[in-house]
Amino acid sequence: MQSAPVVFNLVVKYKMTSDHLSTTFAALADPTRRAILARLVSGGASVTELAEPFDMSLPAISKHLKVLERAGLIARGREAQWRPCRLEAGPLKDVADWTEGYRRFWEESFDRLGDYLRELKNKEKKHGRKQHGQ
Amino acid sequence: MAESNTGSKSAAANGVGMEVRFTRVFDAPRQLVFKAWTNPKHVAQWWGPTGFTNPRCELDVRPGGAIRIDMRGPDGTIYPMSGVYQEIVEPERIVFTSIALDDEGNPLFENLNTVTFAEHGGKTTITLHTRVIKSTDKALQYLRGMELGWSLTLDRFEAHIMSASKGEKS
Repeated sequence: MQSAPVVFNLVVKYKMTSDHLSTTFAALADPTRRAILARLVSGGASVTELAEPFDMSLPAISKHLKVLERAGLIARGREAQWRPCRLEAGPLKDVADWTEGYRRFWEESFDRLGDYLRELKNKEKKHGRKQHGQ
Repeated sequence: MAESNTGSKSAAANGVGMEVRFTRVFDAPRQLVFKAWTNPKHVAQWWGPTGFTNPRCELDVRPGGAIRIDMRGPDGTIYPMSGVYQEIVEPERIVFTSIALDDEGNPLFENLNTVTFAEHGGKTTITLHTRVIKSTDKALQYLRGMELGWSLTLDRFEAHIMSASKGEKS
């Protein structure tokens, strides 16, 4: 995707995908759910494994997993007993694209500024030599 | 070129207070770099991402002076931006607000940008600090996304996300 790398452009994107993104944001708004996602970065896990670091009941964790699943942030296996969860990168990438636009705006502007300053410096040098020769 | 970017997740729910910082070293004396930031003819040459031009670039460089830049994307779309200079300390610091406008010209949110210029051995380090100072209801979700994006980055998602976007680019 050659996305136009600019924060203002994201406004357009926002309009296109706002419903989809707001579901993602709502799911991400909870620290427990973010921690669950962070855990899943290193690989799939069962509900019991995911519940381990939290002082929460399995049903409470299952509730969080349902929210994440509905937002498309995780997928769950079909096995009845052991339904391993894994991360789905798609919606996270949308959020990342969105925030990346902001960073890219300045990184690319700074790249261009660097090139432009080289030009300016060369011009000043030439100009300086000319004056020196006169 | 050295570069470092950091994000902060200490932001209110509407994104106000969210801040990011960018640092870059330029191989040019400070006086020249400062000029490149304060002369509209110069700014129009580099402002915006690769492939963008700035058909309108009006900078009234003094405290209270207006900024008006229309960026033109590679596909011809115009992205208007406005702002106001708060502080000009030649050749050390520029403080300005920038307001992102939606396609109907309504403000979405306002950032306070502080640009500092430090010289060392003929090179200049620019540090740009941006903080969200105002947001509208419309911008709320937009900003929430930015905030979450940064906190996700902090929660070591960066490598994961980067590899995903790289894969799609190539």
